[in-house]
Amino acid sequence: MDKDPNQSPPKSGRNDDQNKGKLSRRGFLKGMGLTTAGTMAVSSGVLAFEKAEVEEDKVLGPDEVRIKMKVNGHAYHLEVTPRTTLANALRDHLELTGTKVVCDRGACSACTVWLDGKPINSCLTLALDVGDKEVTTVEGISKAQELHPVQQAFIDHDAAQCGYCTPGMIMSAAWIVENVPNPTLEEVKNALRGNLCRCGTYPHVFKATMEAAKKG
Amino acid sequence: MKKKKLTLPHGIPGHNLSQIDREVHIDEPPAWPINDKLQHVGKRVKRNDAEAKVTGNAKYTSDMQLPGMLIGRMLRSPYPHAKIRSVNTEKAENYPGVYAIHVFSRAFGMAQPADNDKENQFPEIKYAGQPIAGVAARDAETAEEALKLIEIDYETFPFVVTVEDALKPEAPLVFTTNVEQEDKGGGGGGAKGLKTQGNLRGPNTASFYGGPRGDLEKGFSEADVVLENTYRTQVHTHCPLETHGVVVDWKPDFVTIYASSQNTTSVRNEFAEVFDLPMSKVRVITEYMGGGFGAKHALGNFGVMAGHLSKKSGRPVKLMLDRKEEHISAGNRPNSIHVLKVGAKKDGKLTALQQKSHGTAGVGLGAGVGRIAQAMYECPNFSTEQYDVFTHAGPGAAWRAPGNVQGAFALEQLMDELAEKLDIDPLDLRDVIDKSEIRKVERLRGAEKFDWKRRNKPGSDKGPVKKGIGMAQSHWPRITGINASVEVRAFRDGAVEVRSAVQDIGTGTKTILAQVVAEELGLKPEDITIRIGDTLFPDAPGSGGSQVTGSITPPARNAAYKLKMQLLEQVAEGWELEAEELDVADQKIFAKNDPSKSIAFKEALGNMRTGQLLTSASRSDDYGGFMVGKSISYGELGSVQFAEVTVDTETGYVKVDRIVAVHSCGRPLNITQLESQINGGVIQGISYALYEYRVMDKNTGHQMNANLDMYKVPFAFEVPEIETVLVEEYSARSSTDAFGIGEPANIATAAAVANAVYNATGVRFYEAPITPKRVLEALNNL
Amino acid sequence: MNKFSWYQASSVEEALKAVNSTVSESLTAKPGTGAVFKSGGIDVLDLMKEGLLQPEMIVNIREIPGLDSIEDTADGGLKIGANATLAEMMENEKIKQNYQALYQSLNHAATPQLRNMASLGGNLAQRTRCWYFRSIDHQCFRKGGSTCFAKNGMNEFHSILKNGMCSSVHSSSISTALMAFDAKVEITGSKGKQRLVDLDDFFILPGDDPSRENILRSDELIAAVILPKISSDTKSIYKKQGARESYDWALADVAIVADVKSGKCSKATMALGAAAPVPLRIQYAADMLVNEKIDENIAKEVAEAAMERATPLEHNAYKVPLFKALIKRSVLQLA
Repeated sequence: MDKDPNQSPPKSGRNDDQNKGKLSRRGFLKGMGLTTAGTMAVSSGVLAFEKAEVEEDKVLGPDEVRIKMKVNGHAYHLEVTPRTTLANALRDHLELTGTKVVCDRGACSACTVWLDGKPINSCLTLALDVGDKEVTTVEGISKAQELHPVQQAFIDHDAAQCGYCTPGMIMSAAWIVENVPNPTLEEVKNALRGNLCRCGTYPHVFKATMEAAKKG
Repeated sequence: MKKKKLTLPHGIPGHNLSQIDREVHIDEPPAWPINDKLQHVGKRVKRNDAEAKVTGNAKYTSDMQLPGMLIGRMLRSPYPHAKIRSVNTEKAENYPGVYAIHVFSRAFGMAQPADNDKENQFPEIKYAGQPIAGVAARDAETAEEALKLIEIDYETFPFVVTVEDALKPEAPLVFTTNVEQEDKGGGGGGAKGLKTQGNLRGPNTASFYGGPRGDLEKGFSEADVVLENTYRTQVHTHCPLETHGVVVDWKPDFVTIYASSQNTTSVRNEFAEVFDLPMSKVRVITEYMGGGFGAKHALGNFGVMAGHLSKKSGRPVKLMLDRKEEHISAGNRPNSIHVLKVGAKKDGKLTALQQKSHGTAGVGLGAGVGRIAQAMYECPNFSTEQYDVFTHAGPGAAWRAPGNVQGAFALEQLMDELAEKLDIDPLDLRDVIDKSEIRKVERLRGAEKFDWKRRNKPGSDKGPVKKGIGMAQSHWPRITGINASVEVRAFRDGAVEVRSAVQDIGTGTKTILAQVVAEELGLKPEDITIRIGDTLFPDAPGSGGSQVTGSITPPARNAAYKLKMQLLEQVAEGWELEAEELDVADQKIFAKNDPSKSIAFKEALGNMRTGQLLTSASRSDDYGGFMVGKSISYGELGSVQFAEVTVDTETGYVKVDRIVAVHSCGRPLNITQLESQINGGVIQGISYALYEYRVMDKNTGHQMNANLDMYKVPFAFEVPEIETVLVEEYSARSSTDAFGIGEPANIATAAAVANAVYNATGVRFYEAPITPKRVLEALNNL
Repeated sequence: MNKFSWYQASSVEEALKAVNSTVSESLTAKPGTGAVFKSGGIDVLDLMKEGLLQPEMIVNIREIPGLDSIEDTADGGLKIGANATLAEMMENEKIKQNYQALYQSLNHAATPQLRNMASLGGNLAQRTRCWYFRSIDHQCFRKGGSTCFAKNGMNEFHSILKNGMCSSVHSSSISTALMAFDAKVEITGSKGKQRLVDLDDFFILPGDDPSRENILRSDELIAAVILPKISSDTKSIYKKQGARESYDWALADVAIVADVKSGKCSKATMALGAAAPVPLRIQYAADMLVNEKIDENIAKEVAEAAMERATPLEHNAYKVPLFKALIKRSVLQLA
């Protein structure tokens, strides 16, 4: 059953023969079929679209648009463009830099904020998507100078190493503590399962969240 | 040198604790007893910057916003191997919102021809993603739009991205002459002066443990058993949550750099060198940084670019890499193809150990399998040949125990195989071949906690879902940086401040400094203000090699001790006593023999003759001297880890259920933080064993999984139950006798997991990571 | 992301007027042209951040009233509005109770954060996660190019069935479950024209048109997904294996919906995800269960049959035993 470890490269599947033929004919490749970054769409731009039928006064942008956004209990007036993400609006416009952007694609949950109380990825939410909804960030979950129980538990159980994932972790953990009574460890892991920590602080994060849930 | 004699604790409490006398410099503070008898050191002191982190108030480099600040972005080659015929930046320069453009005339952050430091018009492109030019603009979107307007005429060439292909005779060459890569403050680089032939550089045969030893042929001929196997590990990328990046604020007379760095001092030095500035005119600040794991020692090409853009625009420029750039260009752990051969007697004694390895750090140096095979076990006949193989891929960088994680994956599996062949329990085999006292104790304590004796024969679990257990050991030297200095200041109002350029990479350096200084001054850790991560303060080593704790805490203690003695002298004068007759405890200064004479520490500071007391200290030589040069201390950071896994032989999925990690780091300073760090090393080790690997497309030369979606790193459900056991070990080598844990935490895990997978399935996996694909291929003969 | 303008649609009719391009069409069009829909925005923003999609305008359908309702149909089935989020679907009692395979597929999909944002319609319409497709530097069949890079490249996450032209896999694991339930997609066209199509017919293979993954035209919008009524004997099983457990795309996923009484099956459907460029119904294999007692033998036979047409590539032959294992276990769980 064991594979011969000395065989190089590892065994391959059924397409290997065709593959080899091509490789040896062409020798080392120069990157065939590659397009130069950013030019792909231009080179293949063949379609032309009909003009969209819109009520012109309902079109916002592409330049700056003035919006009102409720964040952590305050209403802010912001000038954003349609492409401004919620994460950028928070970080660059409101200087609420607790919210971190890590993967920028919804794959790590570092940018987690609450929208009307539900955890979402602020990197994949546009500022214009927010509308009348209430945004809560890590800066907004402590009440009247008191740390949120999850924040205190994170301190008590050393649940932050480099600290960069921490705001996102806190927002996921605080959500379950506030919304699920007496969560099991499994439920806690489930609530945190989208949050990446590269320092590997998870065991202490679980502990802290369980502790905060118990107290809450 | 004036000397005195100190009697210090020596040995392992509960095992062989005794005392030892050392001749030390007259200025050294008295010996600390073991942790049991200390107030703050060795305790579960809360991390002193935790509140800033949990509230979002901690400001990282990526959070910086300075007045007038621009955003820098870089243009990168889509081709893995090309010459640049021309670069036209005219359209980009005229794009509204663009303030500066710079085109590289030299490549940074990769191996370079040894004799060639002269500027070319454009450096050759050697990997897809190599930066070519940069733009500073009012915002990131504008910068990116401007980058698209830069016109580059490339002449493309064949390329090679795998070790196997790079070694073929007709392979395209990455370098055509001998190359070198300097170690930037512990951040990688390679052995000097080795020859390059084709894409092969080396072999590297020596280390600070010396070169080959004994007579291999004789050793193998004396052996009762000879085993040889080839082990493979993958390239993986660091994925710090905060990407590499800087903010450079170039003022005519002074440059300030905010850097997401694990080495403020080396970033300053490199910036000063590249821009021909005195070191006194460059300031590097790293107050908070979002992870590094070895990849963030150097200034980086992005740092050089930001420097040029800030200089040209006259404004601060922030240049943070995006996630894709981080994967493809900011470092990785090189892979390894590691042939390891061992000869042993029937009783387990090793007679010969021979290793040969090939690995690629892309266009950089630093592949290898470390020194673990050379150092961990007693074996009279040993040789190693470690080769770098160049490929057209992003440069490698140091990563937690460079080389040794690759090396342990092979060595500790081979020892497992040897034990089975000789029908000896793997722990018993180690008792025969491992002379380390600390690992002996670790094996004992770990085996008990883990319940090792329940181990069954390989593959003996019935049914498709099988459990297995395994163990592995690690060795890491005690690296010490003597360029480690600390200032302690006390103010008239009672405030005490510690200052050093040393950075906190997330390990808790700020907290241990407060503990050590508080212990010395009889204060509370929370009373000590820690100001670090700023090169305006005294130099300190990078957070690499597990050297920070051992390097920076002795001078911190010594500076605090000096300050204490200065204050005690002033107090003693008033009491008509000698300073030596006074002591500190519980925020008070008191006369040892007269309880009526006592004053609050704060009050004593209020009475002092100047507004401020200021002392500093640099790392003294180890008590009893160093093992190697002024950089390697005697002793080692040994560890033993045990793993329990479940293997679903039908889906191929391996899950780690439990890890027991038994570690030593001299005198442990902060138990909770050490546990956090060990958890992290273990989880990264599990990921290395089971999940993550860089996918390079051999046909186009691109990394296909340069994101956090297809690059598989562990999340909540991939994390097992981890139990840590810390074994205190006193060796009387410095005023704190403490060492780090970062590297050892990461070395043994992958091998322990692989051994457990073998124990579960009866099938050995010679290649990491052990994914469902690999398991199913092996079990189904695909 | 490129500069674009924003149009907040308040009705389906208004949205259909404002939009003039599918995401797929816009992908191969001149940058800065085309008005495309966005609901949760997960996939649209991802494509835009990669520089693959550069529309002139985003038509936001997220706030259209009523498009997110989940309601019973007249014949006892369930109609799920296209704007319902995955989280909202998980909260629906009927889905939890009656459509367990769907619930399980939701439970294994994405992260809690993404499920609070992602809409059902967007999940069906998302483009493949094939890493060559997602790379701005690789112009493959699906983006108007003339090659499939995966075919002779790095294809361990790619398809083992129907992979002749393009070997991507469709990424919606929820569709695997929906297909096994014989779900239908309600599509609204301009002037309120509606059509109802089987989910099987909603997806199209690359051979038919590599640039698209579904039949949607630029003047159409997914309005809802309709699940037929299930019987009291209906059992549904969903199993997924990813490279990780916490959250990941499927290496393989399987849904089986069957009527089983006293251990004997009277009717069954089966769909596989991450096996082909579309979620794939393997009816001939499911049919083997009919009138059979559920046991190890029939489970193995069905699994073997389902994989007999597999044509794995260089790096993904492991998917064949993986699918077999998941199918076998799913069948056994019907008993």
